[in-house]
Amino acid sequence: MPVNDPTTVVQVRDGAVSLGGRPVLRRIDLSIAPGEVLAVLGANGSGKSTLVRAITGLAPLSHGEVLLFDTPVSRFRDWKRVGFVPQRATAASGVPASVWEVVAAGRLSHRAPFRPMRAGDRAAVAAAIAAVGLTDRSREGVSTLSGGQQQRVLIARAIAGEPDLLILDEPTAGIDRQSQESLAETLRLATTRGVTIVLVTHELGPLAGLIGRTVVMRDGQVTYDGPPTSTDHADLDPGHHHHLPGAGADYAPVVTAPIGGAGRPMGGRHLR
Amino acid sequence: MSILFLDFMLRALLAAFLTGLAAPAVGTYLVQRRLALLGDGIGHVAVTGVAIGLLTGASPTLTAIVVAIIGGVLIELIRQQGRSSGDVALALLFYGGIAGGILVTGLAGVGAAGLQAFLFGSIATISWADVWVTVGLVAIVVVLALGLAPQLFAVAQDEEFARVAGLNTRLYNIVVSVLAAVTVTVAMRTVGLLLVSALMIIPVATAQQLTRSFRATLVSAMGLGTVAAVGGLVVSALAPAQVNVAPGATIVLVSLAGFVLAWPVGVWTRRRRRLATPFVDPVLPPNEGDPHLDGRHTVVPESHEHHHGADCGHQAVPHGDHVDYVHEGHRHAAHGSHYDEH
Ligand SMILES: Nc1ncnc2c1ncn2[C@@H]1O[C@H](COP(=O)(O)OP(=O)(O)OP(=O)(O)O)[C@@H](O)[C@H]1O
Ligand SMILES: [Mg+2]
Ligand SMILES: [Zn+2]
Ligand SMILES: [Zn+2]
Ligand SMILES: [Zn+2]
Ligand SMILES: [Zn+2]
Repeated sequence: MPVNDPTTVVQVRDGAVSLGGRPVLRRIDLSIAPGEVLAVLGANGSGKSTLVRAITGLAPLSHGEVLLFDTPVSRFRDWKRVGFVPQRATAASGVPASVWEVVAAGRLSHRAPFRPMRAGDRAAVAAAIAAVGLTDRSREGVSTLSGGQQQRVLIARAIAGEPDLLILDEPTAGIDRQSQESLAETLRLATTRGVTIVLVTHELGPLAGLIGRTVVMRDGQVTYDGPPTSTDHADLDPGHHHHLPGAGADYAPVVTAPIGGAGRPMGGRHLR
Repeated sequence: MSILFLDFMLRALLAAFLTGLAAPAVGTYLVQRRLALLGDGIGHVAVTGVAIGLLTGASPTLTAIVVAIIGGVLIELIRQQGRSSGDVALALLFYGGIAGGILVTGLAGVGAAGLQAFLFGSIATISWADVWVTVGLVAIVVVLALGLAPQLFAVAQDEEFARVAGLNTRLYNIVVSVLAAVTVTVAMRTVGLLLVSALMIIPVATAQQLTRSFRATLVSAMGLGTVAAVGGLVVSALAPAQVNVAPGATIVLVSLAGFVLAWPVGVWTRRRRRLATPFVDPVLPPNEGDPHLDGRHTVVPESHEHHHGADCGHQAVPHGDHVDYVHEGHRHAAHGSHYDEH
């Protein structure tokens, strides 16, 4: 970690996001400490991607604020500290691009325009490609890879920047078990260097062992925030809802910790 | 051949060479962003710019470049607002540009004939001054298109990722639009506004039949563009004197011919490449005990009427330490007494 250790890596204070005039995220309070490994769970459309897009500044807040490394996201400039794997079906575009070229884009946060790559940049790209097991395909066009392999290219692109905060939006969608295990190993290695990880996923799979904290989204709100539990998919199961009196009454029912969960119930927190 | 003719040919060849270099350099980014027709849209807008020049007596090149840049930036801003998609924004400019051009030339009293030279190119009337302006503009376009290649590539590839990498994606997108506008005005004199876009797009489409990387596509498209532009000009100059062969048309037809040649080669090489790709993911660790008994050992039950070999007529694909043979949709490798599916 760099010298000026932040007290929090990500902080969202009373955040709300509207897309196309429709409130998509509401009353988000989230604070992530350095070195934490956080899983964001929730059903389709519950606002997981919108949450990470708000954290990365891609989705502007309609209310509240987001701090990255203690700096408001709108004024944050130290982007080489952030690695992002967007939710994508493909890494291809209108013109052929090699695996190496796509991953090398991950070094741009370290490079000024018109500056050629340095040896350190090349080494980081090669290491990132090796970490996702695509070394012998690095000269091939990404569009000729399978969907899961393209997903691994996107992961390599994020790791290539050697970030302090790694945000992955469903990185394991369509990835086979073996590659998930090697991704888990890569992430585990990153955590030993103190990297903070925010992982959006439907299936924890081999990554489960890494997770130190889970956040469950439902209907644009955080309904559970605490240690991982054995019922991490409870948010998908309406049978487990606990209705808290007075909590979020003007919105959909609020879920607290799934059975046995020792987490902090977030539902009761209202706007002042 | 007279000295005058040589001097004219030299100017024309230089202009064609420079146009062929710049147009595909910008075109590569347009194709990557799936905005292949942006050059066309800007070309139509430039018609209005030329007409304003004809009306006011200012240099049509100057007014065209100004109006084209305004148009290009406008398209980009409309697209960024996200209210209408890129191609709707383009369509609006297409129609507005042409209609504006016709209206303004009418006002200027020169009629459509005055526009002709710009719509279809007029390489014969290029002066040395025009050539030097072209050299300057093309130098700017090429330096930016190559020098900013990593950034422009990343923005066109995945705009959201580029933003989180700290790139000013709006600025880079506007840079591409401005480069396209400058290129359109540069190419206006050689191929004409109606065919500008062809020289931006066709060399890229040709190059990507054969390339696997962005850099290779960019560089070979520029090479193909210059060959087509110079070649097309020579073809039109060689035409008999009594027929009028427009260089713009021959330049575009030569580059199309390149595409027609490259296409089957591309289909063939892509097929070969697919065949050469191992079916089993190379990440799989080889089995410790018997190197052959890994995931790749799949005995083929069917009997073979012959032993595959160098001249058995089946396609041979080198595969690590052995050779596979392709037939009936299978890829077979000899392994002792039997064949494995690879
Ligand atoms: N551009 C947009 N305009 C309007 N509404 C949007 C837009 N993008 C997303 N939404 C809405 O916001 C909600 C949250 O979407 P989001 O993409 O964050 O969900 P998610 O939890 O990531 O889902 P998934 O598991 O499918 O990725 C959805 O209801 C969706 O309909
Ligand atoms: Mg999502
Ligand atoms: Zn044979
Ligand atoms: Zn083989
Ligand atoms: Zn066989
Ligand atoms: Zn065998």
